[in-house]
Amino acid sequence: MNVLIKSATIVDENSVFNGKKVDILIERGIIKKIAPSIKNTAKTTEIKTSDLHVSIGWFDLRANFCDPGFEYKEDLKSGLKAASKGGFTGVLVMPTTHPTIDSKSGVEYILNKTKNNIVSAYPAGALTVKCEGNDMSEMYDMHLAGAVAFTDNKKSIKNPGILTRAMLYNQSFNGLVMNFPNDDYLYNNGQINEGVMSTRLGLKGIPAIAEELMVIRDLFLAEYCNSKIHLTNISTKKSVQLIKEAKAKGIKVTADTNSYHLLLDETLLENFDSNLKLLPPLRTKEDIKALIKGLKEGTIDAVCSDHTPQDIESKQCEFDHAKFGMINLQSSFSVLNTALKSKLSLNEIITLISSKPRDILNLETPKIEVGTQANLTLFCPNTSIVYETKDLDSKSKNSAILGKKLIGKVIGIINQNKLELN
Amino acid sequence: MNKLSVNHLLGIKYLNKQDIELIFETASHFKNVINRPIKKVPSLRDLTIANLFFENSTRTKLSFELAEKRLSADIVNFASSSSSVTKGETLIDTVNNILSMKVDMVVMRHPNPGTAYFLSQHVNAKIINAGDGAHEHPTQALLDGFSIIEKHGSLKGKNIVIVGDILHSRVALSNIFLLQKMGANVKVCGPLTLIPKYITSLGVEVITDLKKALNWCDVAIMLRIQLERQDIKYFPSLREYTMLYGLDKQLLDSLKKKITIMHPGPINRGVEITSDVADSKQSVILEQVENGVAVRMAALYLLAGKID
Repeated sequence: MNVLIKSATIVDENSVFNGKKVDILIERGIIKKIAPSIKNTAKTTEIKTSDLHVSIGWFDLRANFCDPGFEYKEDLKSGLKAASKGGFTGVLVMPTTHPTIDSKSGVEYILNKTKNNIVSAYPAGALTVKCEGNDMSEMYDMHLAGAVAFTDNKKSIKNPGILTRAMLYNQSFNGLVMNFPNDDYLYNNGQINEGVMSTRLGLKGIPAIAEELMVIRDLFLAEYCNSKIHLTNISTKKSVQLIKEAKAKGIKVTADTNSYHLLLDETLLENFDSNLKLLPPLRTKEDIKALIKGLKEGTIDAVCSDHTPQDIESKQCEFDHAKFGMINLQSSFSVLNTALKSKLSLNEIITLISSKPRDILNLETPKIEVGTQANLTLFCPNTSIVYETKDLDSKSKNSAILGKKLIGKVIGIINQNKLELN
Repeated sequence: MNKLSVNHLLGIKYLNKQDIELIFETASHFKNVINRPIKKVPSLRDLTIANLFFENSTRTKLSFELAEKRLSADIVNFASSSSSVTKGETLIDTVNNILSMKVDMVVMRHPNPGTAYFLSQHVNAKIINAGDGAHEHPTQALLDGFSIIEKHGSLKGKNIVIVGDILHSRVALSNIFLLQKMGANVKVCGPLTLIPKYITSLGVEVITDLKKALNWCDVAIMLRIQLERQDIKYFPSLREYTMLYGLDKQLLDSLKKKITIMHPGPINRGVEITSDVADSKQSVILEQVENGVAVRMAALYLLAGKID
């Protein structure tokens, strides 16, 4: 794969070209030359567009590909296609499939099915057998097979004993435990954020404290185990405060939030749109403000898409019966960029979806450097885009941002000696 | 103005003050009609109304049927104690079936909030929400408001307390919206486990002391304890609930003034109110039932006027 990228602004704090407008020549997947202007002597394919920016390939920390078991919602192929369209060259794949990815064979299935894809899939193994929260799964075996984190996805680890043992055990091989903080008893099958909207709509509320109580429990347990822990899908103001205090105390915690939680708030639920039924639920404008501050200060380390495909039957029904989640891999950057554009620098925004997620997972961060394998995302951060159903590559179409004007468009990705342009 | 600002009656929150006044005015006319020897008028002749009840109901269903018959509409009834989903049919299929039946209006009760709104988005018929989960029950609030005006002349400045299970009550929510729009002062009273934490965001005050609440109010709307909606225990026992929030004759007589007692029914006699209170002169519970028919006739009539 040979390509010449013309007049692209580099967005990479680790590159000497950061902020500079350059040409990049890639030959057989390797960055050959970076210079203010490169002559196209060999009639190489050129990529040229206004507002073109290049960063290292993006990484998503949370995607559900529903494969095996729920391929009618998404499969590895369609999921990775959506990732590629969204500018991601790496994705952490959640284990709550059927069967659950809770053994070596499951991890190998994901890796074998996605081999040679332009987007690299990194499996997360289940922390407990079948994600049932009872017995630890064979995490070391999965780690050897290629699993890079252990989580029961949206099934929070209810039993503090299990979480404690998982964190202690993972230290034998430097594994990472991820937990989604959501206390089951307080969550109590709620539908939307407990607040003004749940009161007005008569829908059962999910109190912020359901999240915060588990955040504080997990922080205590991580301190007790002297272990690292990753708290995923943080959505409330108080959670941000608690994590900030824990980091100051030296507790080895990292955290992420979802891009849509930075843009959408609970007031949008007025018309019972089930595509906005999300877990954690959309919170208040005040929470959004705190999350953004948390990202700026480094309390929240990364942003993920929380890509959760649901088929039409799971969404076009009574709100109480609709399933949680929305697809977001393809739109995540546009959503994030729209939410943060005036608040964080472009470098800060891109870090949240490129190097930071890799740091959390202890993966090597690609470089924009002559002689290295090209792992790049090409995008236009100042160009507006409106997503329509027909533009979506996911099998499911449960997106709440369709028809909305967002700022930030992905042009394509380069990885594994392949180029894919949108 | 003799037209509603809305095309469906999905909830009080979608109505403006003029809509509510128009419904009251029309209801008052229909109340005269149903007290005449010939109670039937031909207003809705040739219109077909489907009554879809996905949840148990006796009085609301009966009241709507009666209202529809008094207006000479053709009626089809569908009742199921379980929701359509548990029977394997999705709501959207039910919706499509209704579409094929070419009905003009749909009256629907459903256990899940938002279903009436959902229906209005997918069906080309006028929708009346007869109760959707803990969301709204607009005709109940309208008949309650109508009954208070009958007794007290107006709603403006009146003090009204809603007592009991506010958390699971669509009647409470619709009443809060209606009473506030019409200028009344509303408070809610009950154990905090049965009151939404953010209820004050709607501009209502919470009182946990029943006697204090009753001494403040002109009208008390006593709500039924909806055990069927309570998936967990919100209070230790009915006996203890009654000790704290039951209204008996002794308490009623100890109040500084004669307040009006209302109840949307069905009453759990001896739980939220005792029989002697329910049957006392201060109670307008049966007037509420009568007014229910007149108010529903008004709602049906005015929505029929919106059919192209």
